[in-house]
Amino acid sequence: MLELRGIRSGYGDVTILKDVDLTVEAEIFAVLGANGAGKSTLMRTIARLLAVEAGDLRFRGEDVTAVAPNRLAEMGISLVPQEANIFPNLTVRENLSLGTMFGTRSSRSRIDEVFDLFPDIAARADQKAGSLSGGESQMVAFGRALAQEPRLMLLDEPTTGLSPKYVNLLLEKVRQIHDSHGVAILLAEQNAVKALEVASRVLVLSLGKVYLDSPVSETDLEAIQGGYHI
Amino acid sequence: MFDLLTSYTLFSLSTVMGFVALATLLHLQFGLAGIVNFGVVGFWGLGMYAFGVLLIQFEVPYPLAMLLAVAIVAAVSLLIGWVIVDLNDQAVLVATLAFGTIVTSLVTTEKWLTEGVVGLGSVPYPVETGDGALWQFVVLTAVTAAIVIYAARIAKTPYGRLLAAKRDNEPLARGLGKNTSRHKLTIFVITCALMGFVGTLSAPVHRFLTPDLIGPGVTFSAWIALIVGGKRHPLGGVLGVALTIFVFDFVIETYVPVPSEHAATVTVIKTIVYGVTLIVALMFRPLGLLGPGRKRGSR
Ligand SMILES: Nc1ncnc2c1ncn2[C@@H]1O[C@H](COP(=O)(O)OP(=O)(O)OP(=O)(O)O)[C@@H](O)[C@H]1O
Ligand SMILES: [Mg+2]
Repeated sequence: MLELRGIRSGYGDVTILKDVDLTVEAEIFAVLGANGAGKSTLMRTIARLLAVEAGDLRFRGEDVTAVAPNRLAEMGISLVPQEANIFPNLTVRENLSLGTMFGTRSSRSRIDEVFDLFPDIAARADQKAGSLSGGESQMVAFGRALAQEPRLMLLDEPTTGLSPKYVNLLLEKVRQIHDSHGVAILLAEQNAVKALEVASRVLVLSLGKVYLDSPVSETDLEAIQGGYHI
Repeated sequence: MFDLLTSYTLFSLSTVMGFVALATLLHLQFGLAGIVNFGVVGFWGLGMYAFGVLLIQFEVPYPLAMLLAVAIVAAVSLLIGWVIVDLNDQAVLVATLAFGTIVTSLVTTEKWLTEGVVGLGSVPYPVETGDGALWQFVVLTAVTAAIVIYAARIAKTPYGRLLAAKRDNEPLARGLGKNTSRHKLTIFVITCALMGFVGTLSAPVHRFLTPDLIGPGVTFSAWIALIVGGKRHPLGGVLGVALTIFVFDFVIETYVPVPSEHAATVTVIKTIVYGVTLIVALMFRPLGLLGPGRKRGSR
């Protein structure tokens, strides 16, 4: 579904990702690595928010190395950034409705579905999103990505700040939309154990390079941890 | 009651009304869409002068001259908008400020077209009966009211929410599939063209068009009014102008008997009070009188 070949990208003169190859099928793909390893940079690059310096990026067979980020949303990619992932001056409901521009079902039914999943934010539907707690903001950001009816979800540490109950709920939902709709998911996580519970494949980044790319069943925590100590 | 509306009163009120319109349009540009337009006077002044030049130098019929002037401003703002749409705030500020300055200096130097400092005129009212000034004020008020109503409505539409989203987090809005550059450009061109339109309506109010009418003070006054009133609120421009420009250019000038030898002092005091008001507003109510008070996470 998604293919990266020899991707190099970064910020201005600073190159972060070096020669990254990656193929994501309709699966749950965990992206692990130490702080600063380049997980968020990878997500931003795929979402076309950072220029690709070298290599190419294909989504569903189409070369998207140079398409505008807003076109990617139309093609079915949704991103939950690690930070600044809500619009603080819009209400929770307005935040969610911005995710319903494309897709088939009515905006209202998709928003209601998010509220069913996260009753905590349903109670705050008409409150400015800027006044939410960290965990509540994550629910809004994840809910909005769900409402996009994506084919590929890029989740950058979506469980940050969530209580254990909601971590499980969110990951369960991730598994469910994958199982029922064949949605591909790229899931960056600090919590390796939790991520590996839902993922079928794992990528470990280290200093902007691919340290490990393997089916979860063929690797173990020890091998993965090797990528954190270089 | 029209006795109260002497020609001087009407002139002052029309000037104030023009500022209400400009400050409200600036609210749409900056408060809603986050475009730091420091060239307000350029768009307004270009509308005013283009209209005056077409009408007087080229003897274009009145309504056509207005229409063409607005079209010129729209075309110029499309060009400027296209340049600035993806620039950062500082660059937008500098570019628009430069544009305003260019308009002023061209008006001063291109005497063959604008008569320079001698002044271009006189620009007549559309209806040259005795009530021309009154009618012009009524029309300006109606146009301003329409702009304020438009501003109040747009915030509640999906388009308005989109502009607010783009202002607060452009990459995120893009990631959701919004062509933020196009939306930004659209609102910029519409509001700049309206500034030009207000300019065409201001032309007969001033009668003689001179370069000193379109100095940077126009831009700064509109900005100060908007910041004091509340940049995010559709009535922010109205309240801000009422508290600043209206007080000085209308109330004090009309009702406070200032001896003529002190007239210059009033101007100086005005500048100082504007500056102090702006600083106080930014310190205690960064979002203006109509904005929410200081709170966590707001800017
Ligand atoms: N905007 C930026 N400008 C310059 N360098 C940046 C920028 N953002 C990130 N970096 C650098 O890129 C490298 C990778 O950062 P990235 O955010 O991708 O790491 P990460 O794996 O997501 O880390 P974390 O687990 O802390 O979220 C870091 O060294 C960081 O300093
Ligand atoms: Mg990160």
